[in-house]
Amino acid sequence: MSAVISCQHLTHYYGKHKIYEDLSFEVPQGRILGLLGKNGTGKTTTINILSGYLKPRSGQCRIFDQDIQTMDPALRRQIGLLIEGHVQYQFMNIEQIERFYAQFYPGQWRREAYYELMAKLKVAPHQMISRMSCGQRSQVALGLILAQNPELLVLDDFSIGLDPGYRRLFVDYLREFVKAENKTVFLTSHIIQDMERLVDDCIIMDYGSILTQQPLQQLLDTVHRFTARVPEGYDLQLSDPELYHPSVLRGKLELHSFLPLEAVQQHLQQAGVPCTDLQMESLNLEDAFIGLTGKY
Amino acid sequence: MNNMFYKEYLKTRWYLLLMWLTTMGFAGYGLLRLHRVMALHGVSHVWEVMLTRDAIFVDLLEYVPLICGLVLALVQFVPEMYHKCLKLTLHLPVSHLKVVNQMLLFGVAAILVCSVCNFLLIGLVASQVLAVELWSRMLLTALPWYLAGLAGYLLASWIILEPAWSRRIVNIVIALLVLKVYFISSQPMAYVEFLPWFAIYTCVLLSLSWISICRFKEGKE
Repeated sequence: MSAVISCQHLTHYYGKHKIYEDLSFEVPQGRILGLLGKNGTGKTTTINILSGYLKPRSGQCRIFDQDIQTMDPALRRQIGLLIEGHVQYQFMNIEQIERFYAQFYPGQWRREAYYELMAKLKVAPHQMISRMSCGQRSQVALGLILAQNPELLVLDDFSIGLDPGYRRLFVDYLREFVKAENKTVFLTSHIIQDMERLVDDCIIMDYGSILTQQPLQQLLDTVHRFTARVPEGYDLQLSDPELYHPSVLRGKLELHSFLPLEAVQQHLQQAGVPCTDLQMESLNLEDAFIGLTGKY
Repeated sequence: MNNMFYKEYLKTRWYLLLMWLTTMGFAGYGLLRLHRVMALHGVSHVWEVMLTRDAIFVDLLEYVPLICGLVLALVQFVPEMYHKCLKLTLHLPVSHLKVVNQMLLFGVAAILVCSVCNFLLIGLVASQVLAVELWSRMLLTALPWYLAGLAGYLLASWIILEPAWSRRIVNIVIALLVLKVYFISSQPMAYVEFLPWFAIYTCVLLSLSWISICRFKEGKE
């Protein structure tokens, strides 16, 4: 599979504050890749670099094998962009915005896809976008992307401000569209349950670097939560790069790891942790994310 | 081009109507003053005050085009900067330079249409009662004010599109200095000798917004 997005050795700083260094990743054609990370790990920075609205300190991003900074404008026909907060032109109404965008995408614009989604919104065709709720605006933004019918979708925090109903509607519509048409998606979201329903692959970012990048199912199959009993009042002093965020609460040790049960037991023994009854649990994506990145 | 003009039209249509009515109203009011003086004191008095006391009767218009230009830039570009909506515009499959130029061209065209209407009104009405030397004196005196309107629009666009507040403040100071040139003298026809250079000076300001767009694309904040 060829890479639709290829970012190599990205480094970016805001002033002297390092966001990340030497970050590289690829998004293969036909895959949905979710970028997960705590606030400040550089998700929006990455989206901004990918959309061409931020020049990284060093490194290069290519989309459809063209450098983003010098991309042929016509190539943007094949990239659907959803800005954080579902921002759209506030001064237009549902019909005007469709008429405006349609002229830029001759031959590929699918008016019916837009109006099919708009029919689900209980708003008049002449209602201004400025008077819509965030949920309604998200449907307008999604409808426009579906009508544009691009090969690549870049979605920045698509679930922000949406109630569960609109979130589900957005995810279901998007997934159906992407899978039916073999589109490529790069997205971020704060709501990890939505990501789990949507993504094929995920990148989990930590401060300054990528913590892991792998297919979602592989991640869920390999990362586990481990719990064990430790003596009451035991002061845990454990520093092992293979064991993520170990903590003790009321005699219960908890940690996360990609290692199998036996290997974790071995690591704990080598570290001299007096634990008993070591258990391994499977996780959903949210638990895996918190386990790997920590609660704080 | 029609696509971008459609967007700009949707954004500014009500303001454009207001701008046209305002400038026509001020120009009309200046001509009413001319007719009132003529009715009270006769045409010869009008000629006399225009030649000996530098009266031009449309002096109320002096800052009107400038204010109209500044407000047009606000109406046109503040919605683009709201929640960084400009990202949507720059994501359209058209070269960024073309997009910016089309947006500015729309604003410049709107100001020019307004100015031409004002000039036609003043020229047509004044030419009924004044010699060509006198009514052209009115128009040539007003011309730098209309150029200031264009300059104000272009400078305000540059300031609004600038992504960083600190740089915006610097831009505002520069813009004030640039605009001052248009209002150094209030003598009628003070700028006649320089009008072609003045026009070129105003046109050069067109390129400033591109600097802001480049900075926006680099993610300056």
